[in-house]
Amino acid sequence: MAKTVRSKKRHGFFETLWRYKWLYLMLVPVVVYFLLFRYLPMYGLTIAFEDYNIFHSLFNQKFVGLKVFKKVFANINFWASIKNTLFLNLMTLVVNFPLTIIVSLILNEIRSAKFKRVTQSVLYLPHFISWVVVAGIATNLFSTNGGTINNIITSLGGEAKSFYGNTYWWTVMYIALQIWKEIGWGTIIYLAALTGVDEQLYEAAYLDGATRFQRIIHITLPMIKSVVVVMLILSISRMMSIGLDAPLLLGNTAVMSVSEVISTYVYRLGIVKADYPQSTAIGLFQSVVNIIVLLLADRFAKAIGEGGIL
Amino acid sequence: MAKETMDKEKMAPVKKASGSTGMVSKFTVFDLLMYVLITLLALICLYPFLNVVAITFSGYNAVLSNKVTWFPIDFSTSAIRNILSRKQIWQAMWTTVEVTILGTGLSLVLTIAASYALSRDYLPGRTAITSLIMFTMYFGGGIIPTFLVVKSLGLYNSLGALIIPNSISVFNFIVMRTFFRELPMELEEAAKIDGATEMQILFKIILPLSVPIIATIGLFYAVTYWNDYFQALLYISDEAKYTLQLRLRALLFGTDLDPNASVSGDIGEVMTQSLKMASVVVATVPILVVYPWLQKYFVKGVMIGSVKG
Repeated sequence: MAKTVRSKKRHGFFETLWRYKWLYLMLVPVVVYFLLFRYLPMYGLTIAFEDYNIFHSLFNQKFVGLKVFKKVFANINFWASIKNTLFLNLMTLVVNFPLTIIVSLILNEIRSAKFKRVTQSVLYLPHFISWVVVAGIATNLFSTNGGTINNIITSLGGEAKSFYGNTYWWTVMYIALQIWKEIGWGTIIYLAALTGVDEQLYEAAYLDGATRFQRIIHITLPMIKSVVVVMLILSISRMMSIGLDAPLLLGNTAVMSVSEVISTYVYRLGIVKADYPQSTAIGLFQSVVNIIVLLLADRFAKAIGEGGIL
Repeated sequence: MAKETMDKEKMAPVKKASGSTGMVSKFTVFDLLMYVLITLLALICLYPFLNVVAITFSGYNAVLSNKVTWFPIDFSTSAIRNILSRKQIWQAMWTTVEVTILGTGLSLVLTIAASYALSRDYLPGRTAITSLIMFTMYFGGGIIPTFLVVKSLGLYNSLGALIIPNSISVFNFIVMRTFFRELPMELEEAAKIDGATEMQILFKIILPLSVPIIATIGLFYAVTYWNDYFQALLYISDEAKYTLQLRLRALLFGTDLDPNASVSGDIGEVMTQSLKMASVVVATVPILVVYPWLQKYFVKGVMIGSVKG
């Protein structure tokens, strides 16, 4: 025993390095990648506290304290972008979350394995399509003049809706497309949780005279309860993050008051107008809020006995 | 206690009675309802695709009168021929193919290297490096600082900017590392006794056992590279280097750099609507081609990922 301890001690730093040289060699590009493209930008966050001069290097800028943040917080567009981000995310969650669970439950009730497989493939498909394509397809469906949706509305006696010009109907279109794209994909995690359910439970309930609906309520739902809770907490903790593609590609000047979210605002301010300090400050604010919400969500998940989400 | 025994007694005959027939036999109204609902949902998912194809292959007047829904009317290939005869499309297609192939290759190499090395629980220092990687899931520099770093590395307007800055996804790394961890260690130990290096073990033992997970993650990476719009929007301003998504956006909504300046589903004459949809078809078909035969792998991949390491 003592001998092995001593022999272990004799392995010096370089000896260890040499012993696992292949593994460390594999890690070199990985570590370089993370330092260069993930940690160096974190250092770049200092821009938010500087009077940034593009002719100087990242390491040689004038510190101005919280001046940039004061400017950002005083801007009404900044608060509008936060409000829009939260609103679009929340509305999408409210519609998409229960719908995904319902679709999972229905899929779970399909008995023919082949039919299930085929429909699942179809439902997953939109997940793999780019937002540019979706935005293109949307013009067919939602245009005021001859779009499929408006054709249906008018044939039912309704009035054609301006999905691209009216903020309310734009939001409806945005949510509908989000759901169309992700609902199938979202079911995977619930269906995975359901594969573990013991068939005997269903059979026992059947013999006790439970209806199919009762079985779903009393057996299937409890089985996915903890996945549901974790997914809900995760989604809520992502409320401040929003992809740029969908709002940017679907939006236009007429609906800017709802379509301008944090990511599109940062893009316009930072890339289009090249105001690096302000856009960096907004990004930093967003990240800090994200991490606080995530930590709170993790605490909450642990408190209700679901294990951490981190 | 008494309740427990009662439950057990109750369960016992159930087991016998259930057998293979039992409840599985009858196809009820409830079943019918489920099938109808799922079929409807599948049709809703499919309709936009079919509509795009139908418009692409319909005649001018049919599109103009907004009659086209599920199937082409007055079959015509002029729109798709028009799009396929454009040099710009082929140029963009080639750029995207290049980015997708090189990017997926690089991403897989880096992800496999990271996952394999960090799944060896005897490697000193692996916790520190794993934490270094995991931390970036929760905090980052954000769009602008990353943009400035990439630009200062001289990658602006180069395909490298589309490949290198996002070559490792932490999510995919977690999925793959979980998979490697669960592989049986016996083979590896036997190989080690025979004097095999870690490199040899990786190539001769681990990788051949990991084809499904590599296919899944390769698909995820490939789709991300193929569909990428944001990176290209950030880093590519030279029209000669446009990717397929940028070119598609330009064809759909105009070349204006600020997408919000153009847009609307209503402008543009109808011949262009067929052309627009033809370009959508061209940009989407490659994904539809690889989708079916990789599909069987990715569900498993997502499940491993959702369990999370």
